[in-house]
Amino acid sequence: VTIPHQPMSLAVNGEAVGPVDVPTDMMMIDFLHDYLGLTGSRFGCGQGICHACTIILDDPAEGAVEMRTCITAAHFFAGKKVRTIEGHATRDAAGNVVKLTPVQQAFIENFAFQCGYCTPGFVTGTQVLLERLRRAPVPRADVEKTIEQALAPHICRCTGYVRYYEAVRSVILNTPGLVRG
Amino acid sequence: VAKLSRRGFVLGGIAAGVTIRVNFLPQAARADVIGNPRDATPSWIAPDGRLRFRMDAVAKVTGDKTFARDFRAKDMPGWPAQQSHALLIRATRADAAFDSLDLSILGADLQPDRLVLGDELVRDGLAPPDGAVVVAPGFYGDTLFVLKGHTPRLLGQPVGLLIYRDFARFATARRRLRFADVVRWGTVTGYQPPAHYGAGRSVRIGGATPADPDLYAPLSGTIASGHFDGDRVVWPGAHADGTAGERAIAAAATIAADIDSASPDALVLKRRFYSQSVDASAMEPDNGLVWYESGRGILHAMIATQSPYEVATAATAMVAISRFDLTEVDLSIGYTVGYGTKDHSIFPYYCMIAGLYGEGRPVRLANDRFEQFQMGLKRHAFWIDNTLVVDRATQTFKAMRGVFRCDGGGRRNFSPEVGFVGMVAAQGVYYLPQSDFSYEARASHAVDAGSTRGFGTLQTMAATEMMVDEAAELLGVDAIALRLKNVLRSGMRNSQGAVAGGMLRDDEILAQMQTHPLWTGRTQLKAAYEAKHPGTRYGIGFAQVHKDFGSVAEGAITTLTLDPAGLLSMRQHGNDMGTGMTTSQAMIVAEVLGRAPDAYRFGIVDWPEMPLSDAPGAGTQDEQDTLSQNPRWTPCFLTSMSSSNSAFFIGHATREAARALLHFGLWPAAVAIWSAGPGGGQFGPVAPDVTEARFVDGHLTAGGMEPLSYPRLAKAAHALGLITGVSVHSFNRWQFSEAIFDVPTVGPTRLPIDALSLRYGAGTTPERKAAMTAGGFHFIDRQQVFYPEVARMNAGVTYYSGIGTLVELAVDTATGKVDILSHHSVLECGNQIVPELVSGQIQGGLAMGIGHALHEDLPLYEDGPGNGTWNWNRYRLPHGGDVAVWTQTTAVLPPLSNTDPPKGMAEVVMIAVVPAIANAVTHAIGKRFYATPITADQILEALT
Repeated sequence: VTIPHQPMSLAVNGEAVGPVDVPTDMMMIDFLHDYLGLTGSRFGCGQGICHACTIILDDPAEGAVEMRTCITAAHFFAGKKVRTIEGHATRDAAGNVVKLTPVQQAFIENFAFQCGYCTPGFVTGTQVLLERLRRAPVPRADVEKTIEQALAPHICRCTGYVRYYEAVRSVILNTPGLVRG
Repeated sequence: VAKLSRRGFVLGGIAAGVTIRVNFLPQAARADVIGNPRDATPSWIAPDGRLRFRMDAVAKVTGDKTFARDFRAKDMPGWPAQQSHALLIRATRADAAFDSLDLSILGADLQPDRLVLGDELVRDGLAPPDGAVVVAPGFYGDTLFVLKGHTPRLLGQPVGLLIYRDFARFATARRRLRFADVVRWGTVTGYQPPAHYGAGRSVRIGGATPADPDLYAPLSGTIASGHFDGDRVVWPGAHADGTAGERAIAAAATIAADIDSASPDALVLKRRFYSQSVDASAMEPDNGLVWYESGRGILHAMIATQSPYEVATAATAMVAISRFDLTEVDLSIGYTVGYGTKDHSIFPYYCMIAGLYGEGRPVRLANDRFEQFQMGLKRHAFWIDNTLVVDRATQTFKAMRGVFRCDGGGRRNFSPEVGFVGMVAAQGVYYLPQSDFSYEARASHAVDAGSTRGFGTLQTMAATEMMVDEAAELLGVDAIALRLKNVLRSGMRNSQGAVAGGMLRDDEILAQMQTHPLWTGRTQLKAAYEAKHPGTRYGIGFAQVHKDFGSVAEGAITTLTLDPAGLLSMRQHGNDMGTGMTTSQAMIVAEVLGRAPDAYRFGIVDWPEMPLSDAPGAGTQDEQDTLSQNPRWTPCFLTSMSSSNSAFFIGHATREAARALLHFGLWPAAVAIWSAGPGGGQFGPVAPDVTEARFVDGHLTAGGMEPLSYPRLAKAAHALGLITGVSVHSFNRWQFSEAIFDVPTVGPTRLPIDALSLRYGAGTTPERKAAMTAGGFHFIDRQQVFYPEVARMNAGVTYYSGIGTLVELAVDTATGKVDILSHHSVLECGNQIVPELVSGQIQGGLAMGIGHALHEDLPLYEDGPGNGTWNWNRYRLPHGGDVAVWTQTTAVLPPLSNTDPPKGMAEVVMIAVVPAIANAVTHAIGKRFYATPITADQILEALT
């Protein structure tokens, strides 16, 4: 087969992966789904519109960056560290969830989602927002606007956004150090 | 009449097929939600029994495999680890004969390992499921793939299937094929869609007052059927003394004459509306994973579907008559989402085809978003011609006529049913002394439309509500006051002559809205906003609708069992498409039995404890009377997850199962425990009644009796041979069936179900033990059954939930863009099982309605989704910034008492906001729009 492959290695959820031979033009979402079996980042549009497929790139300079895996090649992540939705909660050795992140906990307690297909993207987008606010808090009065801007591209078709946004607001306001004033 | 069975499912043919060709199948076909131990933690229920979150919440928020789409062969127990991947090549034109595929673009390396074309399917005897297993002949069309030399029935129809054993080659080939022109066409033939799908007409002339008997109504007459002569509908002749259909048309002629001769004292408003084709855009695209184990003739499948029972049985029928040996269909399902579009979709059958040609390997067929647009079921486009007659002096509605033409595309699917349901909803929340509503479900070469949230009612009721708003303006009266004057009140007949079940509370919602500050202050608010925001125009609009939930055939089963240790288990046929029905069904059990089940299985198709059949179907009252003599017959075995049916209909089966377990098992066990000792023990002096039974902290008490734990009750029930397991089947056709059962240990009992199976504790008699032959249960032959009359099918509707929505918006006069500033909705839905789920449904429905009103639109034909170029970059879904996230408010009317049934509300909530937005835009800029979506361009044009 003449599909060009290259070996790549990366860190996924704190664990070293690779080297794996991956087609050079393969998108990250296909690599996650069909090479690593990590299907939590969801395929929605394949065009970078809906943000159901996002993961966190832990960039040494910029910190957590939200990346769309359906339009970003797997090889872009070679040598980098990423967090997928499967890596957010704390799990025991058997993989069972022991503790959710505050974002995940807020989403489930606020009944933020129905079908849940978009949920990994919302968890990811919100987690990146929280880590950004930890570095650069915003005025309390700007919280709602900040949430709107951060989550604006994320599409949810079931629940109409309200319960997601309210959950995010409550996490931000209840986490010390994320807002000023 | 049987054709009106909205989503009812007739098993006649499959039963025949099964007994003749594959007689094992009622037992072998099964569908389970994939078990997920990480999702089975009880933490969703707090120690005090309070619901903390959805039972599927942790799995969904942590990225576990929950959707069918998440599963690969290696995740499936007992499947081979290696799998193949398939894709479909689809027709992007429908006016020429298919000649061949030219896959040279793939080069030598990327040629498929297996190519399947239509001729091979024909040779192997594979065609879309048809006959008695589908709702109506031709439901899924006549061919799966376009045959060489034949013209596609519709845009997007598959012409071939490519299977790859290797994912990397598959992924590369798929990318290369996207937008590529690989189909070679022959003779230009012109379009060759199927014949039009059907037409029906609901005509009613009421008596002198709403209380007087109808002069003509479908409930006592009929829904007249039309047939097509070319594109023209031909109705029965008008004969006042003729058949029911002829009398309907005679009544329509009377109404037409009245409209034509209306005096100047009447406002006669004639308007034409258009409601666009919409893609439901469920975020999980259609997909399936199928493994055909040829040696054993087992078809294993993992399918994203709202209708597992239908998929299992129809796939069985499809394969059973093919060259492929079939001994078993083993269907698994995951969580899914579809808003109706994964109910009776053809896609699962393409997945089955992929598996059958997988050469022993599991094959995955999963749409990407372009393919989903190209093939996913659409919401029907409607063209609506309405006439409303209002008496100017009294402002009362005198008559309404509506002609509803919908485009079903190139497969029949539920098009006539969607037309029918839209037709019977068109009256909205009003009493109409005279009405003449008709639908025409037409075929075309468009992508097929089907069951989609709203099911025709969004289209017809939105038009009615825009029209009533205009009528109020022309009459110079308050639009809510006009609504109140004409509102359908309890006991009044709907446009079929039926009276709604329970109290209608539309008047309460209207009264609340009439005093809402947005409505009372709308003139001042408009002036103030426009003064403060130059270049914008401000408007407030209102609309109210009520919508039916359920269909003409709702079958449901719930089984509850109590083990000797006191653990409760539930089996249920429903599956969760996001609504939270699995959680709410568990909470219904908790309501009756003081605790949610400890174990639960949903999506069950195989019901050994409920050996019922709905074959053959009953089309007439005589047939039903005869068939119902057989205690193992029911008019409908199981219904798909559809028509907002989980809370009321499936909930009914669950509640009755729980009540039966309480009354037949737990209560007698408790009485036995309490009665120990002289003088009837603690029970004797007080003798509380079962109606006093209460669960406190998971313990059963009544009238001051010692609270008893489940382990104690279970131990006693099992030891005494009491009833420890209950399975009920319920049937509803706008009314629940009832039946009398001679319940062992209890005696003859009348229950609102049509079938009952019981399990006895170990201490029961040898005779009862021997009777437990139905999956470990004793199926109790009913002594007498009372089914709703077949004529109830014509009632169209007797269950309504209602919503009113006020919308506040601003129009940018420079761009035409509409900014929704806030909205307020009031819903009536009886008792809420889980209020948080209800509120999420409301908010989600409102968002989808906003999309319909302002953003979402698909051309029907060559420029539309069938051409394979549509995705969310050009089909705009509402985002958070479009729905007034922070300012929207909702309220739910308090129930009349805690015994109000929970009503289906998932569809109605998206409807009122559509006309409310249209009415608000009119208030803002003074121009009316008669088509959705209302785009910025149209607004700009109207402004100039």
